[in-house]
Amino acid sequence: MASFSLKINGKIETVDVDPAMPLLWVIRDFIGLTGTKFGCGISQCGACTIHMDGKPVQSCVMPVSAAEGKVITTIEGISENNDHPVQLAWIDEQVPQCGYCQSGQVMTAVALLDKNPNPSEEEIDQAMNSALCRCGTYQRIKKAVLKASKS
Amino acid sequence: MKTAQISRRKFMQLTSVSGACLVVGCVPNSVGESIANLSAINPVGLNQFISIDNLGKVILYNHRPEMGQGVYQAIPMILAEELEVEIKQVEIRQSEADSKLYGDQRVVGSRTIRSEFEKMRKMGAAAKEMLTSAAAQKWKVNVRECSAKNGIVTHSSGKTLSYGELVEAASKLSAPENPTLKDPKDFKIIGQSIKRQDAPLKTNGSAKFGIDMQTPGMLYASIERSPVWLGKAISYDKDAALAINGVKHVLTTSRQVYGRKIEGVAVIADNYWAAFKGRQALNVVWDNKGLDKISSETIMQDFRQESQKKGDVLHEKGDAEAVFNNSNDIIVSSYELPYQSHVPMEPMNVIASVKENSAEYWGSTQNPNGMRSYLSKKYNIPPENVKINYTFMGGGFGRRSMTDILEEAADLSKQTGAPIKVVWTREDDQTQGPFRNCSLNVCRAVLDKDGNISALEHKVIAQEIGKQSGNDTKAGRQLMGGITTGYSIPNVAIRGVLQKRHVPISYWRAVYHSTNPFAHESFIDELATKAGKDPLAFRLAMLQDHPRFKRVLEEIARLTNWYDSKKAGIGRGLAMVERSGAHFAMVVEVANENNRVKPLRVTTIIDVGICVNPDIVRAQTEGSVVMGLTAAYGGLTVKEGRIVEQNFNSYPLVKFSECPEIVTHVLPGTAEPDGAGEAGLPTLAPALANAIFDLTGKRIRKMPMDLGGLV
Repeated sequence: MASFSLKINGKIETVDVDPAMPLLWVIRDFIGLTGTKFGCGISQCGACTIHMDGKPVQSCVMPVSAAEGKVITTIEGISENNDHPVQLAWIDEQVPQCGYCQSGQVMTAVALLDKNPNPSEEEIDQAMNSALCRCGTYQRIKKAVLKASKS
Repeated sequence: MKTAQISRRKFMQLTSVSGACLVVGCVPNSVGESIANLSAINPVGLNQFISIDNLGKVILYNHRPEMGQGVYQAIPMILAEELEVEIKQVEIRQSEADSKLYGDQRVVGSRTIRSEFEKMRKMGAAAKEMLTSAAAQKWKVNVRECSAKNGIVTHSSGKTLSYGELVEAASKLSAPENPTLKDPKDFKIIGQSIKRQDAPLKTNGSAKFGIDMQTPGMLYASIERSPVWLGKAISYDKDAALAINGVKHVLTTSRQVYGRKIEGVAVIADNYWAAFKGRQALNVVWDNKGLDKISSETIMQDFRQESQKKGDVLHEKGDAEAVFNNSNDIIVSSYELPYQSHVPMEPMNVIASVKENSAEYWGSTQNPNGMRSYLSKKYNIPPENVKINYTFMGGGFGRRSMTDILEEAADLSKQTGAPIKVVWTREDDQTQGPFRNCSLNVCRAVLDKDGNISALEHKVIAQEIGKQSGNDTKAGRQLMGGITTGYSIPNVAIRGVLQKRHVPISYWRAVYHSTNPFAHESFIDELATKAGKDPLAFRLAMLQDHPRFKRVLEEIARLTNWYDSKKAGIGRGLAMVERSGAHFAMVVEVANENNRVKPLRVTTIIDVGICVNPDIVRAQTEGSVVMGLTAAYGGLTVKEGRIVEQNFNSYPLVKFSECPEIVTHVLPGTAEPDGAGEAGLPTLAPALANAIFDLTGKRIRKMPMDLGGLV
């Protein structure tokens, strides 16, 4: 066990955990931010996507020891009032069905648009391929990303 | 699964029983907790579905669990329509689980809207009549001079009272048993694509799923089960697991899957990661007693052997056998499908706390009252002492209709005295099942001299969900799901040859409708080709007695310009199926892209009778298409008695860039609503296979399909 100070959503959180524990479980079970989801545990589905220093990262395979000193943002941290352009576009296009993967989808899209405000369809394809959705909301996600990129 | 059946009369009587006592805040509400509580003081209940506060804010309770299918929005829309309120006045909350108040709350078989439509209308209309009567009493006028609209009762003289002003008095009146329902042509809410109130909760991480639940004193369990189902634990390294920091207990446990006991070794710790690490250290040795020789190949070989049997008759018209006996030109085709996994994005999980005379459940389930029944019966606890906290589900697809996942957690809670949260890994979900069945379908037909089908036989060789254990060897009608008997064919025989295997199976989205139509609608296409006829015209000619199928086919022909000259380089395939009352036809268009077949567009016409929310039906169809594509491209392989594909790296889901354009048209309908949650899935595989044939001349009869090497 070891103590870690993590900068999450602008706050410093201190936890005493196994250094090998994936950041996902630290965020969910110790810090209590449950918007980030467990889907596969091997960085294949994107449900656990967070931002680390602005880049999308799959937190299910990122040991907590590698997160210290980084700026971490989770779904709870991208807007105060659920009004990030990506969130508004998601609601407008009625993207979510079960909703479980959508935190990861939103975080992936936000990271894409931060880096590339006007992505081509191919660039959207490439970025969003890392986030799986079993409900099949992809077509609406595409519309929402394009809408958010224009707002 | 048995649940309390409530007669309609009894259901309406409950209205007055629960009346004013249901006050918001009494309701344990895991889903609704995340909705901002904007209500003013003292909302008053008019029945178990409807509460109104003094400012006229309307709180409507959805009593069916939400797994993505949209009942969270649709049930309140039906209530609001008859209650005569504006949907923007409405705040939706999830009801408690209580079969006495709410009847059947399971979400299975696309049943919710079908079975609740009339009941919800009556609940809304009864509350509206109570409010109107309360106004009439206050004004001392005849109730017939009063009308309700937009949350306001108006007297013919022009004076008005709002629902907020009336609710207190209305709650003291008894509920009318047969309230007058609106003429559907006056619907203002039903039939509108009103945006879902759960969508905002699902874009900022605030929606709560089972896996997000916690309770004080809770411990986490990760459970190792035999990779070969029905294997028995011989030995395991308890000390190695206990040596992991945070691990508290190592205990054996079990659960029942359709009458068969599945053993497990549980590592219990104060956090999930420690439990998981401890489990990895267990090194369990299993006795798999010969089951480890079984593979997908041996199963399918057995099925081929079994297909020689005549089989049990599931449906019969005319005498197909006589036609076959007199023909020397019988067309025969066989179709194979593999096992599939449900793959809800939220892995299985549950929290159980079992005490001496009480118990509590937290989790995402399609069957909340089933959880209560299990805990009550198993531990001899009065049902009223079992508290059920159910949440949004991160997908269900049938897997969450079962109570098996609760059994281990409850047992471990009983053993340790602590609330236990069991979280499955993705590998657990993939390898433990239960799965969608695999099947072999053998279809035979004879065409007459005009190219019409004179006899058709469809034989299904598969396991049956309800007959996995026990001695019943006779195939039941469940096996023939999705086989279209609506075609006017003079001689038809649908047969089943029941199989028993150690691989556990269960309900999977659309159930046997997800397997049989691949064979049936591919075979109809093969017969059209043999007869030299257009596949759409060939079907249409057999549907004189089936106006709903006829309508969806005519509409899809129009929408896809089916009879216009074909576009070069595009293959088109058609299929039609009925599921849960919904009738739908689908056209898949494919093209050659870099020597692979690529689906470009999937067009669906769907008739669901009265449609409560067309956009939700479209979303369900889009989801069915994507799930159908994943099932067409991949599947589970059994090798050495266990599943090979353990996670998304070997069982890939269709990705964002692989999603074709999906066009869905919901036909206006006036019939009672049908179920829409599985529509589109049954048609995807046959329409895709038929499109591939149209493009390449190659007939796909085995799933999963390999789209490479065909063009």
